[in-house]
Amino acid sequence: MATIEIHGLSKRFGDVSAVNGLSFTAQEGAVTGFLGPNGAGKSTTLRMLLGLVTPTEGSATIDGNRYADLHQPFRSVGAMLETDAFHPGRRARDHLRILATAADLPANRVDAVLEEVDLVDAGHRRVKGFSLGMRQRLGLASALLGDPRVLILDEPANGLDPDGVRWLRQFVRTFADRGGTVLLSSHVLAEVAQTVDDVVIIADGRLVAQSSLADLANRSRPGVRVRTPQVTALHDALIKRGIRAQLVADDALVALDSTPETLGLAAAGIGAVIYEMTPEHFNLEEIYLELTATQGASR
Amino acid sequence: MRHLINAELLKLRTTRAFWAYVASIVVFVPISIVLSITVGNDQNPLTTSEGIRGVFSAASSGGLMAVLLGITMSAGEFRNNTATPTFLITPDRRRVMAAKVLAGAILGVVLAVVSAMLTVAVATPWLHARGIDVDLLSADVISPIAGALLSVALSVVFGIGIGGLIHNQTIAITVIVVWTSIIEALLTGFVPEVGRWLPTGAASALGGTWTIEGGLLPFWAAALVLTGYCASAAAAGTHLITRKDMT
Repeated sequence: MATIEIHGLSKRFGDVSAVNGLSFTAQEGAVTGFLGPNGAGKSTTLRMLLGLVTPTEGSATIDGNRYADLHQPFRSVGAMLETDAFHPGRRARDHLRILATAADLPANRVDAVLEEVDLVDAGHRRVKGFSLGMRQRLGLASALLGDPRVLILDEPANGLDPDGVRWLRQFVRTFADRGGTVLLSSHVLAEVAQTVDDVVIIADGRLVAQSSLADLANRSRPGVRVRTPQVTALHDALIKRGIRAQLVADDALVALDSTPETLGLAAAGIGAVIYEMTPEHFNLEEIYLELTATQGASR
Repeated sequence: MRHLINAELLKLRTTRAFWAYVASIVVFVPISIVLSITVGNDQNPLTTSEGIRGVFSAASSGGLMAVLLGITMSAGEFRNNTATPTFLITPDRRRVMAAKVLAGAILGVVLAVVSAMLTVAVATPWLHARGIDVDLLSADVISPIAGALLSVALSVVFGIGIGGLIHNQTIAITVIVVWTSIIEALLTGFVPEVGRWLPTGAASALGGTWTIEGGLLPFWAAALVLTGYCASAAAAGTHLITRKDMT
């Protein structure tokens, strides 16, 4: 059993609110994608979950326990947060030996994880000479050292080449299929759409959506793209009528859950000139962008 | 706690920077001996007790480097982001700092022992060649060597505390170098009654360095004062580190 629960979590740095009343859960045996634009508060949330940042309000628990209260946390939760949490002059193997020593783990775990992430040959090299992809794999090796049941990965696909991304996808999939819990963050939905079971989407430190990936895809819905010189006026008129609309260009907007008939009426109401109206069907990526963007604009 | 101390010592041994620090601490020993025997000090010639103590004070000559080494043990973890895995393994940061302090003290004693052995190996035959035979069990030798064990070990701990207070390693090192070599040096030179109560003044008293007439504290008082500074720095550094948000 390993369920991650975030409840009413908030963090303020001075006047800046990084995370605001966030609640969501990540289930065991599933890969949960934690999505949002850069600066949405993903890293801060993960760091609060791991006891590295103190929440202003709320709680973040793993199986009901705060990370800091876990007995030997390194054996139950593995985390990869930065791509450069290494002393550049230290050999990769020595980095892992230090972690294994501090966590009181058997020395053979070092060789086991080096093998698992395919870094056996580079183990004796100093981290300074590592590519970003190799650093990511060394970070993952560090996370796996304690043979954890929970994996928390912050932007794990950053810097990986396509082969690396595929390898990571399979790795994470297998980990969850064996009953593990995975929470991984990304600012690009496409990067994780093939990997995750559930998604949690945040923007400006607030929850925008939590659902299974399948349900999110089902939200795919009709909308209309409108081209008009009075784009701002039309946008305001649509919002006033309760139609979700978003500016997409200097002379274009997109209205969701709408029909050309409704839009035509709204445009006539303010005397707007319409150059073009195109009914469209929005895909997963557009839904994601729309969810995170409207939240950002309504701050 | 034992595995945390082992991990701290392993962190040190696996970087080249550490060995450079060790080398620089050891190199200070012969330099200090050369200066005290050849250049000397008119007030305390080698025939006097103070003169001999001055020669054997070489055992603690790496004290400033030991402080800087201590800074790299704490602030260095923020410089390289290794504080993140360190705190993930041990969420109770007071235990992390306690392990650093204990590992630093062990390291300081080892460095002082190496420095002391080198001092004896270089100074004794040289003094003999000058017709001065030193009794290695006399207070003039034992006192500076005992002082070196204490002051070098405390210097590493002091550095760990400073690195816990100033998390930017470069700034921490700059502050300590400016403080000891400019501010403390000026205070000791112009206001010795203040200077002798400062960390470097206390460390000098322990190590047996000569200074201006009537300048330094007695050995036991210096030991208490230096221990007080180190304990305060380590406690304040630990307090600040436990409250730090690792963003």
